[in-house]
Amino acid sequence: MSAADPPSLRVARLTVRFGGRPALVGVDLIARPGEFVALAGPNGSGKTTLLRTLLGFVPADEGTVEVGGSPVASLAVRERARRLAWVPQEETTRDDVPLIDYVLFGRYAHLGALEGPTADDRAQAERALVSVGLADRRADGVLALSGGERQRAVLARALVQGAPILLLDEPTAHLDIGHQLDLLARVRALARAGTVTVLAALHDLNLAARFADRIVVLSRGRKVADGPPRAVLSAELLARVWGVVGAVREEPRSGVPYLIPFRPASVGGDGPAPLGVGPVHVVGGGGAASPVLRTLVDAGYRVTAGVLHLMDTDQETAQELGVPTAVELPFVPIGDEARTRGRTLLGAARLVAVAPFPVGPSNLANLEELSEVVGRVPVVLVGWRNRAAWDFSDGAATELVRRLRERGAVDVDTPEQLLARCAAFLAAPPVAP
Amino acid sequence: MATGPAEPRPPARRPRRGRLAPILGLAGLLALALLFSPLLGNVAIPPEVVLRILARHLTGGAVFSNPCAGTSISPTLCTAYDEIVWEARLPEILLALGAGAALGASGASLQGVFRNPLADPFLLGISSGGTVGAAFVFVFQVDVPQEDLVLPLFAFVGAVATGLVILAAARSRFGSVETLLLTGVALSSFLSSWLSLLLLLNPTGSLQVDFWLLGNIGGGTWAIDGIVLGTVLITGTLLALLGRELNLLQLGTDVAQSLGVDARRVRMQLILLTALTTAVAVAFTGVIGFVGLVSPHIVRRLFGTDYRVVVPGSAVVGGAFLLGARDLSLWVLPTSVLPIGIFTAFAGAPFFVYLLYRRRAAAPMGAL
Repeated sequence: MSAADPPSLRVARLTVRFGGRPALVGVDLIARPGEFVALAGPNGSGKTTLLRTLLGFVPADEGTVEVGGSPVASLAVRERARRLAWVPQEETTRDDVPLIDYVLFGRYAHLGALEGPTADDRAQAERALVSVGLADRRADGVLALSGGERQRAVLARALVQGAPILLLDEPTAHLDIGHQLDLLARVRALARAGTVTVLAALHDLNLAARFADRIVVLSRGRKVADGPPRAVLSAELLARVWGVVGAVREEPRSGVPYLIPFRPASVGGDGPAPLGVGPVHVVGGGGAASPVLRTLVDAGYRVTAGVLHLMDTDQETAQELGVPTAVELPFVPIGDEARTRGRTLLGAARLVAVAPFPVGPSNLANLEELSEVVGRVPVVLVGWRNRAAWDFSDGAATELVRRLRERGAVDVDTPEQLLARCAAFLAAPPVAP
Repeated sequence: MATGPAEPRPPARRPRRGRLAPILGLAGLLALALLFSPLLGNVAIPPEVVLRILARHLTGGAVFSNPCAGTSISPTLCTAYDEIVWEARLPEILLALGAGAALGASGASLQGVFRNPLADPFLLGISSGGTVGAAFVFVFQVDVPQEDLVLPLFAFVGAVATGLVILAAARSRFGSVETLLLTGVALSSFLSSWLSLLLLLNPTGSLQVDFWLLGNIGGGTWAIDGIVLGTVLITGTLLALLGRELNLLQLGTDVAQSLGVDARRVRMQLILLTALTTAVAVAFTGVIGFVGLVSPHIVRRLFGTDYRVVVPGSAVVGGAFLLGARDLSLWVLPTSVLPIGIFTAFAGAPFFVYLLYRRRAAAPMGAL
């Protein structure tokens, strides 16, 4: 793949309307041989319409659609089938055709009038069945196949079509996770071989990020993003296009971004999402902060944490949730460097939540730092009332907490009560139920 | 493209298990029906005389120059028998075969076009159009010397005109399968209303129309057989050649298109051919029900769903079926002339239901 290759698909300023209602608006799209482009977007965003327009099923109201350099409308049906293979979202068939004959249907556009499939056509069909792992079902009727097997049978049929462009509409919809990965890996290998252009509508953004070279995002018929997965996927896009609160992580080995959706923005735990409100800084350790972190992140707050020791349960939770955290090495007292980082996060916080963590010499610094901010921002002690056996600092911690209360720190008992405090203290609060 | 890790060796292509038996069975049944059929008729003629008459004609007079030799049948009667067998029974038999084949092939093709197991040749109003055409003749007592040609002509024009309307609908951009089907149903009802109006204005034609609606193969002549069989041979072959496309259309219009089938064009070709085939059958035999609906199902039960087999197979089964119905009617009621349509449904429906339930559990058949 290189920018010099002539594009195999070129869509320019494409607008399609269904009875006046626009389904696609001014969409531009270019795909080159060897590229795997994922088409993403919520239901009704125009993914399927775009694929159907490329296939020539839906006429373009404005703009151009070119397939292999020719306007799609100018191509005869047969020629289109030689250039574009399609794996539809859903296919209904009533006839119990033997699988091998079903795959051979894909060779139709290559057969002469009145001509049957040749030995070469048959060999191609057999190979395609092997490559989708259905060789042992070749003689079975298609109605005897499971949903996932049938989807792979459709892929096999599309493969023998021998077209340079492969269009897939939710190809993984009926597949289990193993077959999802398998199918997309096969499709990507085809693209990698350099001759096939793949355009696949995929609901699963993580699969799209993992396999596609580019992700094109449609929203209400318009293209809102187009680029490599790393550049396209973001919590902001997730919120804006899908209305979902979530976080973007990076898979450590491959560096592939992946999304963790938390909840729909519209039906959050506490009504309208306080998206991005905060940050709320969480102090904790030893697992005490984990419920607090989860509650805050789920509610949509921006959250920071610190100082936590590496490999501490709370540190792992924070990492899982994508919470920026000041970290110290395991089993050593909090050093200056970590303390400075923690202070930076603390300084930016608009509210500080203190989880009921056991305090000893190695983390007493966390309480000491709080005395710098208490009075300036709200400090909420979560579950500190009537605690037993938590102070391992010879009373220094107890004294620090007493002084924090003196200077305005407030007590709540549960993370849920903390949320109510957050709502009360922060400018754009979530509406309490 | 699609290179697998290992090159599989395609197993030798064997004919599908159990295909040969039904083919032989069907051929044997057809041969038996052909041999047996001329023996049956309203006039009782000794079987050996019938066979000798047939042999005489088939050999161009080389054998049995007097078919009645050695019997007590007078030469005059023998000539009459000869005439009955060769000019009445045989044309009737061939008309049954031709009309049955026409209905079978049309029914199979239309079930394919509409992906609907309930489709039959009369689905799109072809029969209603033919009936209105025929009713004109009955109601207005069109009086011409060549009455046996006027009736088919009117019926044919009515049927083909209806077919052309449907074809125009199929041509339109909005001619989806569903729209087409509903257009046919609407057209059928519309034409029926005309028929009712005609019969109300002139009730004398009503009995004749009733008979027409039950079908009749008694009008066969060698000339008519030539027209019907010739048409069926040509249109049936063309329909069978579209079997590949019919197979792909079963996956839905869009998928078929994506695989290279020009669905709209193929649909128009199929509708044109079935309309013509059905119209010819209707013109000479009236409306014979059930044959076109059932034959494709019988073929599918026996040979699978491949339309390259189902279409020609349905022609053969349709012909045999209609001939069987004729034989049955003559066997049960040798002296009366009952409309053939009564027997196609009377004997065919129970047999069809039997087939349906016998095989139901065995195979996951798609159609029906």
